[in-house]
Amino acid sequence: MSALVNVIRAELFKAARKRRLYLLAILLWVIFPLLLLFVGWLLQTRVAGTFVDNGTGVGAVVEAVAAPLAISRNSLVLLGNSAPVALLIVAVVLIAALLIGDERSQNMWKTVLTVQPDRLTVLLGKLIAAMLLLGLLLLGSYLSGPLFGALGTLFLPTSFSGDWGGLAGLYLLQWLYATAAMLFTFLMIWLLRSNLLGIVAVLFLPGLLEGMVTFYQVVVGFDRLNRFNAILQTLRLRQLFEELPRYFFTTNLYTPSRLPLNDVTAALGLPGGVGNNAGPFAGLFDLDLTRAAWVLGLYAALFAAVLIWSFTRRDIA
Amino acid sequence: MSAITATNLTKRYGRNAAVDSISFSIEQGEVVGFLGPNGAGKTTTLRLLAGLISPTSGHCQILDKKVPGPTLRQVGTMIEEPSFYPYLTGRDNLKHTALLHGGVSEGRIAEMLRFVKMENAAHKKVAAYSQGMRQRLGLARALLWQPQVLLLDEPSNGLDPVGIAEFRESLRNIGQEGVTILVSSHILAEIEKLVERVLVIEQGRLLFDGPLRQLKARLDQPLTTYRLVGHDPELLRDTLVRFGYQPEQGGEQLRVAVPQSEAASLLSRLAHEGVEVLEARREQDSLEDAYLKLLHEDGRPV
Repeated sequence: MSALVNVIRAELFKAARKRRLYLLAILLWVIFPLLLLFVGWLLQTRVAGTFVDNGTGVGAVVEAVAAPLAISRNSLVLLGNSAPVALLIVAVVLIAALLIGDERSQNMWKTVLTVQPDRLTVLLGKLIAAMLLLGLLLLGSYLSGPLFGALGTLFLPTSFSGDWGGLAGLYLLQWLYATAAMLFTFLMIWLLRSNLLGIVAVLFLPGLLEGMVTFYQVVVGFDRLNRFNAILQTLRLRQLFEELPRYFFTTNLYTPSRLPLNDVTAALGLPGGVGNNAGPFAGLFDLDLTRAAWVLGLYAALFAAVLIWSFTRRDIA
Repeated sequence: MSAITATNLTKRYGRNAAVDSISFSIEQGEVVGFLGPNGAGKTTTLRLLAGLISPTSGHCQILDKKVPGPTLRQVGTMIEEPSFYPYLTGRDNLKHTALLHGGVSEGRIAEMLRFVKMENAAHKKVAAYSQGMRQRLGLARALLWQPQVLLLDEPSNGLDPVGIAEFRESLRNIGQEGVTILVSSHILAEIEKLVERVLVIEQGRLLFDGPLRQLKARLDQPLTTYRLVGHDPELLRDTLVRFGYQPEQGGEQLRVAVPQSEAASLLSRLAHEGVEVLEARREQDSLEDAYLKLLHEDGRPV
């Protein structure tokens, strides 16, 4: 147990001296909340009272953008929905690159694994340290709402009302779900023996594979009677193939940060949200936190098994 | 109790054996040299002992316990060029290692920095360190938790002559404290002054394991080397060749090795041939001679 604590302490000591994590923290904790406050201020000063305000209620939009709860909620939405790559996976990748990738690029494995020869402990310690760092980023993002939102209440018609507990729960779930992404990143960087290749694989491989399946489904959808469909029908796999997107890694990973998107779209007057059966996102995702947890748990178990098997056996050249 | 034991240790990469069934045992407190040319298998052996790579067959033990295992926490290592996190200072690199190992005080970190004469550079980032500074910091790191066994792979690489002498002195002091040291090198002179026992490895096979003096005694046909300066260098060279020797030119001097039985009469024979020798100096057989001879006996090119 003490060896595990030693690894975690050493990793946190190292991470605390790396600038890139501070940049990410500033982006999430300061820049984004300030940006939301600025948008709220623009709406309040430029739009409120004009013809646009008539009936739509700019005040409600300001509340949905720059209220204390809205800032926290929108930060969570940003983590899972920013394009072209979600900020959450960027954070995961940066942390994993520091804790796993650096050991190879700086040729430090030979030191780390002789100072602390229990490889499983080293791996577990690094994973826990990485998740603690990610948790700290998410916690700061959550707390930036009340902090900057309180500042906003001085010049905006916003309040502290809302379901803070529910939002905290979503943050917690998003953090737990990210364990699968962290394991995936650890695995890719370790297996590919390269920080760069590992990062590229994590950022683009799931999207690429999932995109290919989706594309094929769309194409096949136009022509239901073809050989591929016939084979799937014969093997009784047609249903599974159609349901495959429900088990995609990224679809499930960002479930907690997609749920509050409903509130944002509703406040902005968009018809329906991602979880509803109507509106622009209808049918794309069937958001279910429990199912997502199961799916990601299976992914995490698979990644962990391969990672442990490889990490405890591979020669350190 | 044995500090380091290797039993039929073998590491193969495909068909090539980097380490080929070597066995040796080192007692606690011994300081042992590990000699061999580049690519002989020294680093692979040290990596096996440090648990970084697993043997194809055979096994090794540290302090009578199986490697890899918790016993490695009693081992300090410096394998190949020491590496660090370049964005951390020298002191922070040591602190990171201290945290990782556990049970190392701030005082011990400061003590080790003083020991390797790095206390004034400890606040600088390692990215700005010279090779010599990295070597010294690497030694400090290997000693942080007062290990019972030290595995050092060519530790004086990149050091200047003063640095090498200081490093050797540091190792001597550590050895006197009862720490078992296995130090590899291909710079034979520094091993010669540090250890009393040597292991010689070449192409993955252990060629010799014994006292240093015994290695030197392995020269079954001892040669004596002279450095000669002649009044007429051409005549001197031709005469030596006529005697059956193979003189080598070294500046103004000719270096020639002759059997010890003929050494005493060399100068009188030259005088008898009318060759005027202005200067004659006899060299001691170096460890390198003994080492190369040993390799030569094994039938491979040196």
